[in-house]
Amino acid sequence: MKGFLGRLLLAFILVPLIFCSCTEEQDFNQFNDLQITPLVASSLIYLESDEATINAVGGLGNFYVQTINFDAFNEQFVSENLLEGTLFYEIDNTTSKQLAITIEFLDAANNVLDVESFDVQPNQPTTFMREVDYGPTGKNLNILRETSSIRVAASNLSDSTSISSDPEPKVILRTAAEFLFQLK
Amino acid sequence: MRLKRLFCTFILMGVGYLYGQNKQILYDFYEIPQSLMLNPGVKTSEKWHAGIPVLSGLSLQAGTSGVTVNDLFANDGIDFTTKVRERVLDAMTRRDDFSSTVQIELLNIGFRGRNRPDDYYSFGMYLENDVVVYWPKDLALLAFEGNGGNNIGRSFDLGDLSLRGEMASVFHFGINRKLSNVLTVGARAKLYSGVYQFQSIQNTGSFITTQGQNNIYVSSIVADMQLQTAGIEPVFDILDENESGEGKELTRLFSKRAFLGGNLGLGMDLGFSYNPDPQLTITGSMLDIGFMNNSKDVKNYTLRGNASTEGVTVFLPEDINNVDNDLWQELVDDIEESLPYEENESTYISLRPVKVYGSIRYDFGEGGESSFENCGCAVNKQGRRTEGFYRNSVGGQLFMIKRPREIQYALTGFYQRRFGRVLSLKGTYTIDKYSWTNVGLGLNLQAGSVNFYIMGDNLMSYRNIADSHYASLQFGINIISWNDN
Repeated sequence: MKGFLGRLLLAFILVPLIFCSCTEEQDFNQFNDLQITPLVASSLIYLESDEATINAVGGLGNFYVQTINFDAFNEQFVSENLLEGTLFYEIDNTTSKQLAITIEFLDAANNVLDVESFDVQPNQPTTFMREVDYGPTGKNLNILRETSSIRVAASNLSDSTSISSDPEPKVILRTAAEFLFQLK
Repeated sequence: MRLKRLFCTFILMGVGYLYGQNKQILYDFYEIPQSLMLNPGVKTSEKWHAGIPVLSGLSLQAGTSGVTVNDLFANDGIDFTTKVRERVLDAMTRRDDFSSTVQIELLNIGFRGRNRPDDYYSFGMYLENDVVVYWPKDLALLAFEGNGGNNIGRSFDLGDLSLRGEMASVFHFGINRKLSNVLTVGARAKLYSGVYQFQSIQNTGSFITTQGQNNIYVSSIVADMQLQTAGIEPVFDILDENESGEGKELTRLFSKRAFLGGNLGLGMDLGFSYNPDPQLTITGSMLDIGFMNNSKDVKNYTLRGNASTEGVTVFLPEDINNVDNDLWQELVDDIEESLPYEENESTYISLRPVKVYGSIRYDFGEGGESSFENCGCAVNKQGRRTEGFYRNSVGGQLFMIKRPREIQYALTGFYQRRFGRVLSLKGTYTIDKYSWTNVGLGLNLQAGSVNFYIMGDNLMSYRNIADSHYASLQFGINIISWNDN
């Protein structure tokens, strides 16, 4: 009885539609061709040091070394959906020191996957900028996918006594990333 | 999981058979008993009526104020992603919506009071599914384009998320009373038995990424968002538990809730018909003034707070002794603490979508056979003349419905032609946010005591139904008695 009622209802519904309406050809498989590729931007690490701290640590040595666990890159979502990425670096140095900054990308076993090195001149008049691409037109994307931690090291290549004439001498490292994901 | 997605798609997009909230063809079509459901104060003349169960009121409609099926899925050789970008992301605004209502009448019976022939009582039950989903423009752009590139500096409005939906069975009892030859009033009490309800309304907040004060970017989010659900989670549980028997279990669950086993609510309809002149009729009604008390199977999700980040920050010498390796995780934890995502099971009240109708009708063309010539009730006779004497009617109607973000309006002009008591036709032209070319036609056929009506809306769209912003078809069968037979 239920089945008969259902068929009767369906007939009442569909028959008028079939006779009364028409439609252009539709291709619903097109949905499979949809591509959603957002570009996601975020700052990563900001490091700032005044000149006094650099002098206090002494000359010709690291005044900052830190390994930061960084699993954001090798999250399953990122590993599976990352198409390409760009890392941005900006450095300002108003100290009187020549500095060396290195950023190492380490995998889970602490193997170095990639290194970005910066030779920072003293009393830099403008902001130093570098963009590093990963993906089809840049470095291997797996560097990002397999990165488990980032080691940041900053060392003083000058003496430990000189003082800049700038009223607030500082070295500043800014980093950010833009990642292109394939959501669909 | 697949079934769960299908269930959500069905609810949110209204895929399937849909029934429009605005029933402009049926409104004040007083030859049809179902017009009582749109105005409890409509003129009634029958002695009694009984709708054929399930077939007394059934209709189909789909509506979108934005993109149409044809816009996206026409086999036109244009790249699909390009179509989505140009016709959805670039064209649709946060005011566009996908809205639908399914209404299936299970029982509709009416009778005139034996001792008070001026009163016409009606009662019954119908099942209603009402959903409105506003296009979440900024959230869709964020998902499609991200916050990087050209969107640096762009504020994404989290308040663009606005949706509401519910399924409920409605038990109703109404009284229609003719107070005088010029005024008929009516009221209908409603008891709602909810099957499910969800709403995410009055969300506020924003997400923006700009040039940072210290680092290259600063990303900031302020959010006061909430999704309230009642009766949804057990459905998901059933869909999750087993793939084979979910049909029976769902049917059992829905049946139980539909027959007073779910969340309950109360409501009422009010209406009137006023004839300041024998040829002029002014009507008005207000429907679903009511609420649901959602206390069973409630699950609410909230995201409230604010957070701002420029990444991991190290200031020397202040942080020189901080040798913690988990700076990134601590940053993530801080954000989650500032912007907690939480769940609760608090009872909540949801308001029904209130609807208002109004109309003015002018009758002319004296000489038609009265619709109520054989009516034994003698209710709508005015002296020696019976109502429905005029062959033609013209007029205008106004429809309003309270939606989460706005009050939606529709204006209708109509012409009605009666061919004796057997046949009546009503043509309408309606303007609303879905269409400016909505021409509808309704037919009411009275074959003896059998009443059959069929109504089609937006008929011009039937040339290419996939390109329609709005289309509907509705019909019903009743048994009507005009006399003692």
